[in-house]
Amino acid sequence: MISFNSVSKYYPTKQGRSYVFKNVNITLPTDVSIGVLGPNGAGKSTLIKMMGGADFPNTGEITSDKRISWPLGLQGGMQGSMTGRENVRFVARINGHKQTKAIEQQVATFAEIGKYFDEPVKSYSNGMRARVTFGLTMAFDFDFDVLLIDELNAVGDANFKAKSKKLLLEKYDKTKLIMVNHNSAELKQYCQAGLLIKDKSLIYFPKIQDALDEYKALYVTSR
Amino acid sequence: MDFPLAIARTSLQIMRDTVHALLMRELKTRFGAKKLGYFWAFVEPAAQASIMAIMFSLIGRNSLAGVPVALFILSGILPFKFFSKLLPQLAQAISANKPLFAYRQVTAIDPIITRLIIEAVTFVVVYTVILIVMAWMGFEVWPHDLLALLGINTLLLILGTGIGLIMCSAVAHWEDSSKILAMVMTPMFFISGIFFCATMIPSQYWYLFDWNPIFHVIELSRDAMFASYTTPVGSWKYVGMCALVSVSVGLMLYQVNRNRFIAT
Repeated sequence: MISFNSVSKYYPTKQGRSYVFKNVNITLPTDVSIGVLGPNGAGKSTLIKMMGGADFPNTGEITSDKRISWPLGLQGGMQGSMTGRENVRFVARINGHKQTKAIEQQVATFAEIGKYFDEPVKSYSNGMRARVTFGLTMAFDFDFDVLLIDELNAVGDANFKAKSKKLLLEKYDKTKLIMVNHNSAELKQYCQAGLLIKDKSLIYFPKIQDALDEYKALYVTSR
Repeated sequence: MDFPLAIARTSLQIMRDTVHALLMRELKTRFGAKKLGYFWAFVEPAAQASIMAIMFSLIGRNSLAGVPVALFILSGILPFKFFSKLLPQLAQAISANKPLFAYRQVTAIDPIITRLIIEAVTFVVVYTVILIVMAWMGFEVWPHDLLALLGINTLLLILGTGIGLIMCSAVAHWEDSSKILAMVMTPMFFISGIFFCATMIPSQYWYLFDWNPIFHVIELSRDAMFASYTTPVGSWKYVGMCALVSVSVGLMLYQVNRNRFIAT
């Protein structure tokens, strides 16, 4: 269970406070995978970040008794001036691992980016970043109940997509997903439930198809 | 794949692990990238002190307030360098580590603590090594009052932490704050008593200098270092108050802004 307790989040803009979420009260189950839907700028990434502890609501709180991953996305999570290996080592250390060699090796094997693993992350392409970011969660053998994924599998090549898909479905019993993705076919593949961002609030749909239909009705104007 | 699942740790252990990870990362970027990184930490104050010692020797002085010129200047330059390096380091501590706040284990105070440790340890090592070299060259370096010297430098560390924390909040609101800091620190070099001390100034002009806590710190460390020097103005109470006030204000600002530091 992930509980939102009167959560509000705004960003200061030149035109005053711009609210992304206003007084959200909802409880999300953690025994199904959830696809997050909303148009650009509705707050999908903000939502994922707040659940992952990388950002905070301005008021209210988000609590959970489950182990939730950090937000797996293209932004954040990796320091550009450090190499892939150093980033992996850093994450291993903050998670309390004293011996980091084996974890580094495992990420390197999964990421398959060769010698670039020892180059600064800022020299990586989006696909390479995604491979290392994804490999990182791998190395902890899915030490999470919920994995937060923010459009991460959107950028990989076919090989990486197949690899990560196989992995996610394999681990499904233990690890559920909360996923942002603009590809509805992929969402349906991974998620059973949907979460729609509407009017600065969240609406939970136990069936992803209902959420997709509602999303289309609301935001997709027919030509 | 036989890694242990979640390792159960207390909050303090998580913080220790995080600071350790940050320490490894900072040391690598600071001293690892440039081969001579650590070397300059020693050479810079030593070179500055030697240049000034030569200048004073050229105008016919070989002792100031009964202390050899080189030692006199070193005793001022070392604490000043520590302070003027610590502040920009702390001011940038948070913005330099921003992407790493994506992990919930890492909070804003962690890089601040990390940089405090690095700067303080560097200061102690540089201070000690320079004194040993001076002793080897035949100077009388053993502090007259070691406890007082340690005490005043601890107060300096607390003062620096407080102002550093204030700077962190200032930078979070207005990025150019660190430029203002750099502008202020340059004249500070000349008014903090690095190459003069209170007894060289007529007492009616002391008010021009005695508002400056760093001036007090340098006066008091010379008082502690040299048996022949007794400071007429240096006040433990004043430095202590400045340290206490700055660290309180710094911690308050930190508490108010702690979420702003992390949010991107």
